[in-house]
Amino acid sequence: MEVDVDGSLSYPEPQMTAKDSGEKHSRTKPLSIEEEQCIRVFYENKLQEVCNNFRFPHKIQATALIYFKRFYLQWSVMEHQPKHIMLTCIYAACKIEENHVSAEELGKGISQDHQMILNNEMISLEFDLIVYAPYRSVEGFIIDMEEFCNSGDDQLQMLKSVSCNISSLPPQIYVTIGGYWATLQDTARLEVDKMMLTDAPLLFPPGQLALAALGNSNALHNVIDFDSYLGSIFQGQNSLHTMAELAESLHAIDSCESWFSSVLRVDHCGMQVKKYKIPSEKELKHINRKLKSCWGHSSHDEYFLQPYIELHAGPKDLPKTKNLLGKKREKKSKHKSKRSSNEAQNMASLA
Amino acid sequence: MGDGSGSRWSRAEWVQQYDLLGKIGEGTYGLVFLARTKTPSPSKSIAIKKFKQSKDGDGVSPTAIREIMLLREITHENVVKLVNVHINHADMSLYLAFDYAEHDLYEIIRHHRDKLNHSINQYTVKSLLWQLLNGLSYLHSNWMIHRDLKPSNILVMGEGEEHGVVKIADFGLARIYQAPLKPLSDNGVVVTIWYRAPELLLGAKHYTSAVDMWAVGCIFAELLTLKPLFQGAEVKATSNPFQLDQLDKIFKVLGHPTLEKWPSLASLPHWQQDVQHIQGHKYDNTGLYNVVHLSTKSPAYDLLSKMLEYDPRKRITAAQALEHEYFKIEPLPGRNALVPCQLGEKIVNYPTRPVDNTTDLEGTTNLAASQAVTAVSGSMPGAHGSNRSVPRPMNVVGMQRLPPQPMGAYNLTSQAAMGDGMNPGNISKQRGVPQGHPQQV
Repeated sequence: MEVDVDGSLSYPEPQMTAKDSGEKHSRTKPLSIEEEQCIRVFYENKLQEVCNNFRFPHKIQATALIYFKRFYLQWSVMEHQPKHIMLTCIYAACKIEENHVSAEELGKGISQDHQMILNNEMISLEFDLIVYAPYRSVEGFIIDMEEFCNSGDDQLQMLKSVSCNISSLPPQIYVTIGGYWATLQDTARLEVDKMMLTDAPLLFPPGQLALAALGNSNALHNVIDFDSYLGSIFQGQNSLHTMAELAESLHAIDSCESWFSSVLRVDHCGMQVKKYKIPSEKELKHINRKLKSCWGHSSHDEYFLQPYIELHAGPKDLPKTKNLLGKKREKKSKHKSKRSSNEAQNMASLA
Repeated sequence: MGDGSGSRWSRAEWVQQYDLLGKIGEGTYGLVFLARTKTPSPSKSIAIKKFKQSKDGDGVSPTAIREIMLLREITHENVVKLVNVHINHADMSLYLAFDYAEHDLYEIIRHHRDKLNHSINQYTVKSLLWQLLNGLSYLHSNWMIHRDLKPSNILVMGEGEEHGVVKIADFGLARIYQAPLKPLSDNGVVVTIWYRAPELLLGAKHYTSAVDMWAVGCIFAELLTLKPLFQGAEVKATSNPFQLDQLDKIFKVLGHPTLEKWPSLASLPHWQQDVQHIQGHKYDNTGLYNVVHLSTKSPAYDLLSKMLEYDPRKRITAAQALEHEYFKIEPLPGRNALVPCQLGEKIVNYPTRPVDNTTDLEGTTNLAASQAVTAVSGSMPGAHGSNRSVPRPMNVVGMQRLPPQPMGAYNLTSQAAMGDGMNPGNISKQRGVPQGHPQQV
């Protein structure tokens, strides 16, 4: 492949078109954004499947998924084969979570050459490696909710006296039988599994994701009065804090609103789960064919398809290999500030 | 690195950012080089840690991964700063660039013991300890345990804006201990034997940040006496063997632990299995004040003994230690640990790290290149003052580090001992330990 002066691409054409008789055009067409997304969703599902087959803990699955997402924030599936990257992400996630599985073992389990996993590992080092998945937050919130319900009567009294709109609660919705909690938690976990396939984990802190998942789960099982529980979180914050921390509490109450709206937004992402249909075989075949011609014969060369990004994103967003780390940092720090500025998350970790 | 040798690196663009001055350390993980950034000016000194490719065919070494994942996440004045991660895709080698620190506690202690023959002044000891605890408290509050605290991993900045500031370094064994997927003991042996906490020596399956506090206690004592507190002889074997001698050294000073003082002792594997061995020698309690020459009533002694508490649950935490009375009495700890604020205190000029300029980034020794490098480093403005003008041959090693312990989970095969291999005879002699610098096999 060559880049012409005007920035367009030209290919050492012949073999490709000859071999790929289905292709009408002599020039390789890049994947559309939708097609790219389609491929990614397909492999994200595959990734969950592989992790399930290996019986890896949820934490590893989530970490691997996030790596996969982070990776394709920076690169295109036209540059790096998603099948390889998927496996590398699983491998790296196991290492990071101190649950080491050798590349050989992993490769064997899915009949893939493990050398390819190792070849790609270094690239995974270019982004941040610690992942906070919502699963633990779900557990924390469940414990917190149980406590909330056990002390429910008092809480309710207190809430009634301070806030009139909560006093209209239906009286006995607090079911505290263990089984209900387990069901609530299990469904929430499945909800998180679904969320992990969306962009939500790139946009929202784990505590919020967990709450949204629990909200959805609760809508199904009706174990707890969710709204009054959410109210209680802020209530609790107030009562715990001293005068000196009043400012902080005010801020927490302040962020309450944005927090609710962000849960709503997560719900929107949740909706996207339903939109993300796993592509049909036919679609996949088509995309794969396009992909193969994109990779061309030098698909081992990890960086040769750089200009594709340009086609998609415009020169402004073109990531340069050499300042890759710098770019990553930027992205990352955005995440960070979002995370740290958010009181709701702190609360989630407290819970 | 002059123009002449520059072309050798041209395949890796990132190398062009630096002037490479030479090798300053070596271990099983790889090599450490000293370099200076070309931009921005004034240029900064950088330590570049090159990781060897792992030989067991399992990709990037867990040591490197841990350093990258943890250090990218944290920022603290008393923790070493990871400036950059460089990857040579061509040969799959990995380089971590850190802010360079001229000194470390190992060399500072050694300088006092072997060259000056006098103890480290109180202000310096207290400031070093306070900053070490300050960094550690930060790590612990972020659920990180270091698991390899020892004098050579505690760096101290040389002249410059951060002169005398402590930096905790080497996160190759560090990990997050919140909600582990597997018992921590699956990581195999952790902490260099002389600084290893009794619960680890007794085979605990799970442990906490208290293991770091034990090590800090040992380092504190070493700063006071210039000698390692518990110099046990290590039993070398492939898998985590029972280290009787190390425990014995501890008991000799602190007395035997009792179930009364340490209730969970009964559940520790080696305590159950080796009761007779462990209880073989009877020691009369406590010689600690004798060993460290402190009055039992002094705040320093009180703090030290709280760090060396047997029961990890009762052991003082880093955050608590920072609040200890010891740090509230004169001399108060300061930011520049090496230069006392009070007049009249003598300032010690610690030696700079020797730089071996005959070794290139590939680790191959090249005598021809050495002259060029010397010339360049000599003419470099502000290149670490006069001490460095005549680079000594590599007889002393900066940035010492034990080889990563054999970690069951990672199948690290036993590796050549770093101290012996690269540092002929020097360290063991200076340490006065016949069996050499303690290291994992």
